[in-house]
Amino acid sequence: MEVLATFTLNFVYSSATLALIVLGLALVFGLLGVMNMAHGEFVMLGAYSAYVVQSFSANFLWAVPISIIVCALVGWLMEWAIIRHLYRRPFDTLLATWGVAILIRKGIEAIFTRDYKSINQIMPETVEILGITYPSYRLLLIAIIISLFVVLFTWYQKSKTGLRIRAMVRNPELASAIGIDTARLSSATFIIGVSSAGLAGVLLSPLVRVEPYIGLDYLLSSFFILIVGGLGSLEGLLIGSAVIGGSDALISTIFDKTAGYMSVLLISILFLWLRPDGIFSRR
Amino acid sequence: MAFSLVVKLLPMAALLAFPFLTTSYSAYQLGLYLLYGIVGQGIALCWGNGGFLPLGQALFFGIGAYISGKILQGNIGWGVVILALILSVIIPALIAGFIGALVFDRQIGSGPYFSLITLALSLLGYQLANSQVLLTGGFNGLTGINGLPGIDSYGNLYFFIVGALAVSTLFLSHLVSTPFGQLLAAVRENEERLQFLGVKTSRVKAAAFAMSGALAGMAGAFFAPHQGIVTPQVVGFILSAELVIWTAVGGRFGPVGPVVGAVIIGFLASGLRDSFAYWEVVVALVFIIVVLRLPGGVGGLGISIAKRFGINVWSQKKFSRTETVPGADQKESPTLEFDNVSVQIGPVAILSGLSFSIKQTGIHCLIGPNGAGKTSALNALTGKLPYSSGKISWRGNTLKGIRPFRTSGLGIGRKLQVPSIFPGLTIRQNIDIAIWVNRLKFTHLFSLKPYQWNISLLDELQDSFPFLKDNEELAGTLSVGQRQMLDFTMAVLAEPNLILLDEPCAGLSKSETENMISVISNLARSSKATFIIVEHDMQVVELLSDHVFVMHQGKLLAEGSLNQIRDNKEVQRIYAGGSK
Repeated sequence: MEVLATFTLNFVYSSATLALIVLGLALVFGLLGVMNMAHGEFVMLGAYSAYVVQSFSANFLWAVPISIIVCALVGWLMEWAIIRHLYRRPFDTLLATWGVAILIRKGIEAIFTRDYKSINQIMPETVEILGITYPSYRLLLIAIIISLFVVLFTWYQKSKTGLRIRAMVRNPELASAIGIDTARLSSATFIIGVSSAGLAGVLLSPLVRVEPYIGLDYLLSSFFILIVGGLGSLEGLLIGSAVIGGSDALISTIFDKTAGYMSVLLISILFLWLRPDGIFSRR
Repeated sequence: MAFSLVVKLLPMAALLAFPFLTTSYSAYQLGLYLLYGIVGQGIALCWGNGGFLPLGQALFFGIGAYISGKILQGNIGWGVVILALILSVIIPALIAGFIGALVFDRQIGSGPYFSLITLALSLLGYQLANSQVLLTGGFNGLTGINGLPGIDSYGNLYFFIVGALAVSTLFLSHLVSTPFGQLLAAVRENEERLQFLGVKTSRVKAAAFAMSGALAGMAGAFFAPHQGIVTPQVVGFILSAELVIWTAVGGRFGPVGPVVGAVIIGFLASGLRDSFAYWEVVVALVFIIVVLRLPGGVGGLGISIAKRFGINVWSQKKFSRTETVPGADQKESPTLEFDNVSVQIGPVAILSGLSFSIKQTGIHCLIGPNGAGKTSALNALTGKLPYSSGKISWRGNTLKGIRPFRTSGLGIGRKLQVPSIFPGLTIRQNIDIAIWVNRLKFTHLFSLKPYQWNISLLDELQDSFPFLKDNEELAGTLSVGQRQMLDFTMAVLAEPNLILLDEPCAGLSKSETENMISVISNLARSSKATFIIVEHDMQVVELLSDHVFVMHQGKLLAEGSLNQIRDNKEVQRIYAGGSK
C-alpha cells in the first residue's frame, strides 16, 4: 500500500514537472512551428537565476521575476535576431537554435564554470499524506503547476490575445490582413514560451543538479513528450507527460535508470515511426 | 577544362604532401578530421541532395568503429583486416537502409520526424554502448586496439585515410551525376510529383541513407586503429550534432564542403582550445550565420567565387539524345469504373456515392462548380485520397488502397492542378525523369546511358512548346504558363493509357490555351490514350470533349455530349446559380 502511494505521488510529481517543462516548447513548436533546440538552456538559465539569488542571500522568491526577466530578454533578442528570419524553414530554425543553445551553454560556463551548483531547499520539511511522509515542496510544486495550467488554458480560450493567437496560427496572412500584428504576436508567444521554461528552471532548481549542460536532458525529454502527446492540445501534452514520466518511473523502479531511459527512447521512436501526429491522431 | 582538372587535383596533391610539409602530429590530427569529413559527405548526400537531414549519423560511425575495433583487438593478418573493413561498411549500411525503408515508407516529405528518429536512435546507441560492457567495454570503451598490421597509426595510416577519402569523393561525384543522383535530387525538389511519375521515393531515400551509413561505417573502421580506443562518445548525440555543424559550415552541396568544414573547424578547435577558452562560442556564431545567410556554407561561397573567375567547378558532361527508345506499349482497353465511391473527411462529405464509367478512348471532360469534388475524384483514383466506401477499378484492377507511385506502372499518368515540376532541376532534367518512368531498370540507375534516351513524342512536344529545348534553364524560372506546359509534357511523356489532366489551361494566355488545345487533340488522335480533363474553361471543353461528365456535390449529375449537357435542366440550374 505504501509502495503504491509513493509510486502514485512520484508519478504525479514527475508528470507535473515534465508538463511544466514541455509547456514552453509545445507553445513555441505548436503555435509558431519553431523547433527550439535551446529550450533546455532556458530551463538552465532559470536554475542559475535561483543560484544567483541564493548567492546574494536574497529570498528565493526573487528568483521568479529575475528568471522571467532574463529569459524574456534572451528570448526577445533571439527572436529578433534569428527566429524571425526563419519562420517556415523548420530545418534551419532547428539548426540555428541549436547554435544558440551552444552559445548560452558556453556563456554560462564562462561565468559560472562547469562545477555543479546546489540550491538550498526552501521547504525541507515533510508532511503526512496517504499514509506516507512526503516532501512538502513537491506537493506545493504540484499545486502550483496545476493552477498555472488552469490559468493559462482559461486565458488562451477566453482572452482577446488568445483569440488573436489562434487566428494567427490558423491563417497568418489573413490575420495580418485584418490588422493583427503577427510579428509582435509571434515574438510575444516565443517570449512567453521561453519564460515558462525559465520559471520551470527556478521551481525545479532545489531538486535537481545545476550545471551548464543540464539543458540537453530537458530538451530531449520535452521532445519525447511532444512526440507521444502530439501537438496542439493540452490533453495531449498532459498524457504525453504521463506516458513518458510514468514509463520512466516504472521501468526505473523495476530495473535501473538506464533501462528507464531506454524505454522512453524506444516508446518515442515507435511513436515517431507509427503515429507521428501523437496519440490522438486520427490517421 | 585542363585548368579545372588542376583545380580538382590540387587538393589531393596537397593532402598527400601534407605530412612531408608539417609535423607528423599535424598529419595525425588531419587524418581524424578527414575521417569526420567522410561522415559529413554522407550527411551532405542525404541533406544537400536528398533534402532529408539525418541527425544521428555518429551512430553508424560508431558501429563501424566498434566492429573494426573489436576485430583488431586480436592479433590478425591482412585477410581478416579486410573482412573487418568490409563488415564495418556493410553492417551500418544495412542498418541505415533498413531504418530508412521503414521510416520513409510510412511518411512522405522531409519533415523533422526522420531527423528526430535518427537522433533518438543515436541516443539509444549511446545507452547500449555504455551498458553492453562485454561487447563494447562500457563506459571505459574498447581498448587495446591494434593498428593495421605493419602500419604505423601515427604515420602511414594517414595515407590509407586519404585513399579512403579519395574513394568516397570519387564515388559521390559519380553518384550525383547518375540517374540515381538525379532522382534523389528530384525527391528533394518535389517528392509527390516523382511519386505520380511512378518512382517509389521511399526506396531512393533509403538507398541514399544506406550509402551515407556505409560512408560513416568506413570512416569508423579507420577511426578504431587510428585512435586505438573506441568509447561510447563515438555513437553519441554530441558528435552527431557536431558532424551536422561541420557539414553545414563547410557546405552541404557536394562532397568537398563537409571535408573542408571538418578540417577547418577541427584545426581551429585544436589551436584555440588552449589559448582561447570559448572557441566553441565562435563556432556557434559562425554556424548561426551560415544557417541564416549562407545556406551553401563555405564551400558554396568558394564555388560562387570560382564562378566569378570563370571556373565552373560543377561542369557536367553534356549528353545529346541519340538513342531512340521504343514508346510504351499502349493498349486500347480503357475500362475505368467508379462505383458508388464515397470519401468523408471529418464531418465533410467530399465524394458521396460517385458512380460513372468510361469504356471508350477519347477525351472525357469532368466539369462542375467549385467544390463539386472533381479533383478529389482524381485524388481517389490515384491513391492520394483514400476512399471509405465504394470501388474504383481500372482494367479489372481494384484501386483500393493503391499508393500513388504504383499508378504510373498501371498506365495512369497525372498532371496536378497547381503545376507541379522540379523547380531546382533544369528543364532537361525534368524531361529526363519523365522519359525514364517505366523504362529505367535497376542496372540503368548507375549508368550514364539513360541521358541519351529519346522518344519520338518528345520531338513533337518540343515543336509545340519550343521553350522545352532550353536544356540548361532551371525549371523554377519558368512562368506559370510554361510550368503548366512542362508539367503536361512530363505527364504524357510516360505514355500512359489514362491521362488525368487537372485544369491544364489554368493560367495560360489565349494563344497558349489554343496551343495547348491543339497539342492535346493531336495527341488524343495519334495515341491510344484515354484522357480525363478537369476544366472550368468552357471553350476548352467545347473544342476538346468527346464526352462530358458533370459533377455536383460529390456526385455525378449528368453525362453525355456537350450539347446534351447544355440542354440538361439540372445542369442549367446549378450553373445559372439557382438554389437547390
